[in-house]
Amino acid sequence: MYEKIFIAQGELAAMLERLSKEMDVWVPVEMGDEKWGVRFLPYYRDNVVVLDRQSTIGPKNVLFPQVETLLRFRYQKDSQDPSKQRIDLKDRQEVSSALVFGARPCDVRGFFTFDHVFLNGRYKDPYYAQCREKTLFATLLCDTEDSACFCSSVDSGPGDREGSDLWMVPVDDGYVIEALNDKGRKLIPIMGKPATPEQIEKAQRIQEQVTAKRIGEYDLTRSAKDFTGRFEDMDYWRDMVSRCISCGICTFVCPTCYCFNITDESRDLEGERIRSWDSCMFYHYTLEASGHNPRPEKFERYRNRVGHKFSYFPDTYNGMISCCGCGRCIRSCPVFIDIRKIVHHLKEAVDAEN
Amino acid sequence: MEDKAKTLQREFLKVFEKLEVVLGWEPGYDSLHASPSFIRQVEDLNKLVWNPLCSQNLCNYLVKTLNASVREDGKKIGICVKGCDSRSLVALIQEKFVTRETLYIVGIPCEGTVNWHRLMRFEPSLKDVQKVTIQGQELVVETAQKTYRFPLQHVMEQRCLHCRYPNPIIYDLLVGEPITPHAGDDQAYGDVEKIEQYSLPDRLKFWEKEIDRCIRCYACRNACPLCVCRDSCIVETRTPKWLAQRCDLKEKFFYHMIHAMHLAGRCTECGECERVCPVEIPVTLIKKKLNQIVKELLDYEAGIDPQKQPPLLTFDPSEKGI
Repeated sequence: MYEKIFIAQGELAAMLERLSKEMDVWVPVEMGDEKWGVRFLPYYRDNVVVLDRQSTIGPKNVLFPQVETLLRFRYQKDSQDPSKQRIDLKDRQEVSSALVFGARPCDVRGFFTFDHVFLNGRYKDPYYAQCREKTLFATLLCDTEDSACFCSSVDSGPGDREGSDLWMVPVDDGYVIEALNDKGRKLIPIMGKPATPEQIEKAQRIQEQVTAKRIGEYDLTRSAKDFTGRFEDMDYWRDMVSRCISCGICTFVCPTCYCFNITDESRDLEGERIRSWDSCMFYHYTLEASGHNPRPEKFERYRNRVGHKFSYFPDTYNGMISCCGCGRCIRSCPVFIDIRKIVHHLKEAVDAEN
Repeated sequence: MEDKAKTLQREFLKVFEKLEVVLGWEPGYDSLHASPSFIRQVEDLNKLVWNPLCSQNLCNYLVKTLNASVREDGKKIGICVKGCDSRSLVALIQEKFVTRETLYIVGIPCEGTVNWHRLMRFEPSLKDVQKVTIQGQELVVETAQKTYRFPLQHVMEQRCLHCRYPNPIIYDLLVGEPITPHAGDDQAYGDVEKIEQYSLPDRLKFWEKEIDRCIRCYACRNACPLCVCRDSCIVETRTPKWLAQRCDLKEKFFYHMIHAMHLAGRCTECGECERVCPVEIPVTLIKKKLNQIVKELLDYEAGIDPQKQPPLLTFDPSEKGI
């Protein structure tokens, strides 16, 4: 048995082809001709896999689809007594096993937040649990950081292997892929031939170099108290957030944002109950049935986003912050709001007051 | 020649006492990005910049953030506008969402703004950028290591390639010399015509492929200066509920058609909807098509003449176009 393989760039498609016979394989592909952005899609022969840049929208969709059907329903009139009707329910079907290929350490880390909320709490979410159990991650060591990245600011890093089942290091014109656990080990023989000792050594060296890198200048992991101190300071939030246009980009591209809405969408006598992504940036997110809205302005909504990730979440879940430092909310923002700065300056303000 | 940013700072300083806030641009999270800036303190005026990265249309904030129709204390809102932005401003004034008297408008002739996606596609390794300027038909990007020269055609926003109004239409002060438009009137709808050459099935395929990526983040709507329904937009209201929460093609098409129809004869083609789209859907094309129809039928272009009545906001029994 071997645990490390080498796959040349040119053999990647054939390998994914083999893997896709075993399971659903999700790969990062370009948005379209002449587009720069990348998103995760199920592997098809024509899809060109893009590994040279971070995806615009990560693999959150794989475990937490933007829209998922929880159940289907159908009303049936009682032919004997038309005033009565029966309801037929169909629960959703089993999910198949999947491999997310070419995600980055930040993408994988995003799911740690989900695990806390959907698996480890008092209630277990069966839909998420099922997908989580059956999905593997072949993660790529990240050597393409840009100025929006800050994974080291949130206790992770470009060489962080935690949470992955297989680990890929770019070496020469290909990748050394290593199994990190039994689940990953099972796939190794399908993936390719053993790597040579030279390739393994090279991969080791690259791993060390990248692990030593620090991406992001601040430490954003201990901001819970600073946030509470700044909560009422509306001038601060107005200053930081005036430029926000209150769209849902930051939450939808965020690997840790897990808020959802549940609606019944029906037509005539049948329909489905769906769960769909929601965004705390939207006015309707907190709109109550009475017409009252506790967060009517964008300042309050953005403050909540910061508070949730850097204060309420760590308070609830043993200090873990729900931000993976991927930088997507900065990069994709129409007005380039920088959450790093907003969180970092919370602290400065508290220091200044003392 | 004085740097335009310095001129802006100096000119706003002269009138700062009479202003409640100055809307301009400041450096963004790195030197390849600029962000909208709300300047309320005089000492912050030196943050203001002007360069080809100043892409956001600041008129968007007048209705949704600042409510620029009334000012009780007599103070004005200072705002920087490019040519395209000024058309949005004219349209907002026409529709009485904004009162001309509440504004101090600084117009800046604009040679075009950079599209980050297209720039990265052209030069994926671009890093440590220090300065960005336009020289002739090239975008010049200086980094710590070297100077890159990119043909404007390849790195500009789509809207800029067909721009006929690089010079602001209304302003109190113009900073810089008026410039020649990139495109003539005959090229205005070149991008629309290109799509129209496709057969109907191909055109449908094109749009299905594009719209399929939509994630319904509503950035295109929220970035639109003429989308003025704020929190009562039809696509989100639950009572009544017009659109389902589903994210299938039908629902997405429905949303984009509603957005476009509500802008027919109102859209000023600032292209913000397309610029902000995180999944790069060419949504401006749909709105331009409607504008083309309005131009043909009613000989009207939105946001050009503050005195004119937008044709779809009025009723004329002698109307010959339709």
